[in-house]
This record gives sequence, C-alpha cells and structure tokens, in this order.
Amino acid sequence: MVFSRTFKAARDLFRSTLQIRALVYTVALSGTALIILGGVLSVSIGNGLFSTRTDRALVESQRAKFTVSRLFAGMSPYNTWALDQTIQNVVPELESIGVSQTRLVAFIHSNIQTNPHKLSSPTSAGFDLSLVTDEFRTKVRENPDLTSQTIQIRRGGDSVPAILIGQPIVLPGGNHYELYLVYDMINEQQTLGFVQRTLVLGGMVTLMIIGFFSFLVTSWLVKPVQEAAETSELIASGDLDRRLPVKGTDVAAVLATSFNHMADSLQENIQDLKNLSTMQQRFVSDVSHELRTPLTTMRLSADILHAKRDDFGNDERRSIEIMHSQMNRFDKLLADLLEISRYDAASVQPEFEEQDLNGVVGTALASIQQFADSKGVYLDAAVPSGSVRCEMDVIRIGRVINNLLTNAIEHSEGRPVKIRVGQNKDAVAVSVTDNGIGMNDSEIAQVFNRFWRADPSRKRTTGGTGLGLAISYEDATLHNGLLEVTAKPGVGACFRLTLPKVHGVTEFESPLPLTVDQA
Amino acid sequence: MSKLLIVEDDDALREQLEIGLRTHGFEVVSVATGTDAIPAFEKNKPDLILLDLMLPGKNGIEICTEIRKTSGVPIIILTARTEDQDMIRGLEAGADDYVTKPYPIEVLVSRIKARLRPLVRVVEHPIVKIGPVELDTLSHEVRKGEKKIALTPLEFKLLLTLASHPNEVYTREMLLEQVWEYTYKADTRLVNVHIQRLRSKIEEDQEDPKLVLTVRGWGYKAGPE
Repeated sequence: MVFSRTFKAARDLFRSTLQIRALVYTVALSGTALIILGGVLSVSIGNGLFSTRTDRALVESQRAKFTVSRLFAGMSPYNTWALDQTIQNVVPELESIGVSQTRLVAFIHSNIQTNPHKLSSPTSAGFDLSLVTDEFRTKVRENPDLTSQTIQIRRGGDSVPAILIGQPIVLPGGNHYELYLVYDMINEQQTLGFVQRTLVLGGMVTLMIIGFFSFLVTSWLVKPVQEAAETSELIASGDLDRRLPVKGTDVAAVLATSFNHMADSLQENIQDLKNLSTMQQRFVSDVSHELRTPLTTMRLSADILHAKRDDFGNDERRSIEIMHSQMNRFDKLLADLLEISRYDAASVQPEFEEQDLNGVVGTALASIQQFADSKGVYLDAAVPSGSVRCEMDVIRIGRVINNLLTNAIEHSEGRPVKIRVGQNKDAVAVSVTDNGIGMNDSEIAQVFNRFWRADPSRKRTTGGTGLGLAISYEDATLHNGLLEVTAKPGVGACFRLTLPKVHGVTEFESPLPLTVDQA
Repeated sequence: MSKLLIVEDDDALREQLEIGLRTHGFEVVSVATGTDAIPAFEKNKPDLILLDLMLPGKNGIEICTEIRKTSGVPIIILTARTEDQDMIRGLEAGADDYVTKPYPIEVLVSRIKARLRPLVRVVEHPIVKIGPVELDTLSHEVRKGEKKIALTPLEFKLLLTLASHPNEVYTREMLLEQVWEYTYKADTRLVNVHIQRLRSKIEEDQEDPKLVLTVRGWGYKAGPE
C-alpha cells in the first residue's frame, strides 16, 4: 500500500519533471553502455589470462614428459622393483619443477587388470581422481600428444577453474601409463576478480560523474523552459507584467524573446479591452447619473402639474397624465440601467442575511396582487409550512421574484400563474409557471439578454424596461444561485430560482422541478 | 410653519424644489454652493436641511460633519449618486436619511415630515433607562451618570425605541418603519450606520457593545442582558 503510493508518487514525479526524466534516461543509457563495455573487457581479459595460463601449462606438460622419459632412461624392464621405485618418484619430481603455482600430478597405469608386475599408480595428495573421467582417459590413451580439458576443482571450499592435461607414456617393458597434471588457475581467478571489481567500481564512479554532469547540463538546458512555464503560469493567473529574462542569442534566448513578445501583445490587447469596457461602463454610469438631476427636476415639475391637473382642460390634463406616467417609466429605466452598470463594473455590494424565502415570496405576492387582479390572473401559490431559511440579499431576491411574477402575469393570457416554494438540505427554490404563450428554443436562449423582448410586436403593457430578467440573472449569480427557464410555445413557461442555503456553496440540487405542462 | 434649507447647485432643480416644497406648505431658504451652506444655516436656523452631496466649494459630507459639531438638526441627503459609498459616507457624517434622485415630491415630503414630527412625550414616566444611560423624554436630554450626551433627535428616537422595550428584538425593517417611518423597503444600512453612530456616543467600547446589542440574523435589541 505504502509502496504502491510511493511508486505512484515517483512515477508522477518522473512524468512531470522534464529534468528528472532527462537525467534518468541519460544515466540509464550510459549505465547500459558501461555494463556492455565492462562485460566485454572482463571477458577478453579473462580469456587472455586463461589462454596464457593454458599455454604455459601445455609447455610445462611437454617438459614433464621429457622429465619422465629422463627418469626412466636406460632402466631394465625386468627390474620391476627399481621400476616401481622410479614410478613412485615421478609425482614428487613433477610437483617441484616449473614456475607455475601448485600443480597436482597423477601417474596412472593404463590398465590395472593387465598389470602383471603390480606396478603402482601414484597421485599427489588431494588429487581427486574422479575429476579424470573415463571418457577423458580414453581420449588420452588414443592421442599420443597432449590432451587438455578445463575443469573445476575444490580449493578450500571454493570452486576454482583448473586445466587438466593428460598424455600417454610408455615405460620400459611396455607398461602403458597415463600422466595427468592439474594446473589450478587460482591466481588468474583472483586477478580477474580484481579486474572485475575495479571495473564495477570504476563504472559506478563514472556513472555518478555522468549523472552529476548531465544534471548540470539538463538544469542549464531546462532552466529557460522551466522559467517560461512558471512565467506563463503567472501571466495566466493575472500577473500580466511578468516577462522572461533574455540572455545571449541561443535558442533559449529566442524562446524568451518571442515569449515576451507574445506576452506584450496579449497584455496590450487585454489592457485595450479593459480600458474599453471600463470606459463603456463609466459612460453608462455617468450618463445615468447625469440624467438624474434634470429628470428629478422634470419629475417635480410634472408632479406639481399632476397635482393640479383638474384645473386644466381635457387635452392638457391628459397630456399631464401621460407626461407623469412616462416620467415614472423613464425613472425605472434609468434605475435598471444603473443597476446593470453596477453589475458590469462589479461594484455590487450585496448584504447577505438569513431570511425566510416564504416571507419574501409573500411580500412579493402582496405587492403584485393588484396588478394580477387588473389582468384577471389568479395567483396559485403553495409554500411549504414552516420557514424556508436561506442566506440572501432580501432586496435583490424580492426584486427577482417580483420580476418573475410580473413577467408571468403579463404573458399568462389571463390563465392562473403557479408559484411554488421548496427546500432541501442544501438549497431553496421558488418557481413561477404560467400557461401563456410560452417560448421556442431560440427565444429561451435569449430570454436573459438585455433589452430582449419575446415578441416585438406585442403591446408593452407594463412598460417593463427590458432589463428585468438580465438583472434578475445577475442577482441569482451573485448569490451563487441559478435562474433557469423552460418553456414550450403555446404551453407556457416556467422560471425557477434556486439559491444555496449557505452563501458560497456551489454544490446543490434544486428542490423544485423545472417543467411546464398544459394547464 | 417649518423652515427648510435647501443646498443644491443645480439651478433648475433648486427652483423647482423650492416651488414644490412651498406648495406643500414649507418655508424654504436655498443656497447654491457648499461655501454658502454653513452661513445660511447659522443665519436662518432651519428646522431641516436638504443637502446635495456633489457641491461646488464644499461637499455635502464636509457640510454635514461641520453642522453635526454644533447641531442635531435633521439632515436629509439628496443624491444622484446611488453609489453606496457616497450615501454611506453621508450617513456616517451624521445625515439622518437620504433620498435618491429622481424622487417624486410625495416621497421627499413624507421623508421631511417624518423627520420633523415631534417625539411623543410620555408624561407619567418621563425617564427611560438603559444601563447607566438615562433618557429624559420631556427635555430630550440624555445622561450617562453625570455626563450629558448629545444625541441628534433621530439618535434619541432610535435609542428610545429600543430602550422602551428592553431585550425585545427589533429587526432593521421594524426600526426603519418605527424610527424613520418608512412604509416601503429601504436600505437597511441606514439602520446599521446609525446604530454605529449611537454606539460611538453611548458605549464604553464600541467593539464590545453592552447597551445596544446586535442579534445576529435578526436585528438589534437594548441591553444589558
């Protein structure tokens, strides 16, 4: 478990860090090369050592043959006792000649059965005759020259390579003997071991040096890439003034230069857009504000005339009434424009407070009742018992609900408007459904757009500003909530506002369905 | 007849305001610049001031601060700037209420009347106590021990409303209705700002109020608990 996590972390690090990857590859590849080189060296050194030893052993064996011949020269084949004495001498004699290390000697009668004089077959102490296989002996008997074989002998518990050399020798009297010499290669083995250890150690040191240098080189190479990555991350997170340092004229410098160039033009564009949008927002806000003072004056004038309208003739009175009502409409439009410009400038400062949605809906219903009555629309409201508490800016949410109700009543064609309130553990919702003219899909897509009207040819009865739903949408977003709509042409429309109970929560499901059915 | 002082730099609006308010039965004095406001206030001793915030010479917030040093006269801010900061700053400087342009004359008149309405005098129990603070509803004097505290009429009304029913929670909306006499939705920050001003005058430690307590999620109540 821990291991697999460590492994996973290591794998992720490996994948994520360019430098570590480059380092691992370099070390792995040079490691492989070193292992191959070391292997080849070790094998060829070993071969050289062993073949030198073998050559010397063969020369010594040749010489041994002459030594044996000299020992037996001129001996009578019938003096069996003297013959046997000399045979006994062969082993100590051969053990001592030559310069090579310890060697073992065996001087064996070729055929024990047909050995009428019972001549002995002496061997050095420690010569394990089982090493000399019958197969090898046959080969030796058939070959008048030297026959050699590589074998493993035991030396102090270790297995050591050795050369076994055999040759047939005919003694006076026709006694066939075989001379076996074993030359161990313990020194060669030690030398090879030393060479191998040196190779391994040297290889490891070389590998570490390669690793260290490739670390230096890769960090030097990776540095500009890393800097570019870090800088672009910073720029992406909004720090538009970040640039890469340009050093020299190599490819890294070219990267830095073009990166900086790209960042410059990006920053310019963003700044231009920002300026433009700030200017536009300021303009809308300023226009709205500048209009306010003359509008106030005109409004006061209209109010005074309106209060005295009965003192005028019919046409004048009607004109005063129209002026008065249009002042109100102008007023509302200006207020909505200002509100939208406040959202655009992100200068909205909501006041979140835990409130009962039932209460907010109740207040909205009460304030809209007169308008509904004037349209002959029945308001079918059902709210859950108890309180539906939620953190909200009560003025804004009241405004959204009012807006949804006004729209529904306007478009319901006199049919009842259904208002539902619901809650679950995370969220509260209010839905307003009408069975009026409804909307098609392209209309639904535009419904929250500014100054968009469902049907331009429709009579504007309430003098809505065309900004109501756009503002409502912003209000919902401000609460991390959702204002959604579904509609069918000729069936009706359903608007649903869902708000998280605790402000800032973004994971929630609406407690109310978003559907519209035929009444 | 109540005397109003209008400080408004826009000539047409000022003239129209004068006419409108005169037809509603007020005596009206008006000045066009911030610099003239204080002398006009001292000379005419108005019952209420209507104050524009954006003024040449001296801005509305400065005028407000200056008048509050010597007088509790009701001040209503007239502002085209609905930007919250300006309104809040005006209230913090001591204005009692605000009206946002454009406003119908009825709204303005009802705001003025609300501020001019005299407090109900309770003759049987003229002294209302809240902790160490005593409110004399006859003389409108406020004492904390031996020390006299100068409250504006609005602050007096706010404290009296809370203190008359100690430990009863008033929502901001209730206070807007009872103290400011709003019959429709108004900005509840009006209450917040004035509670802060009130606390700064009567509490030992504003950060740890003992007399006017906040009830989280609901509103305010008069302590001590």
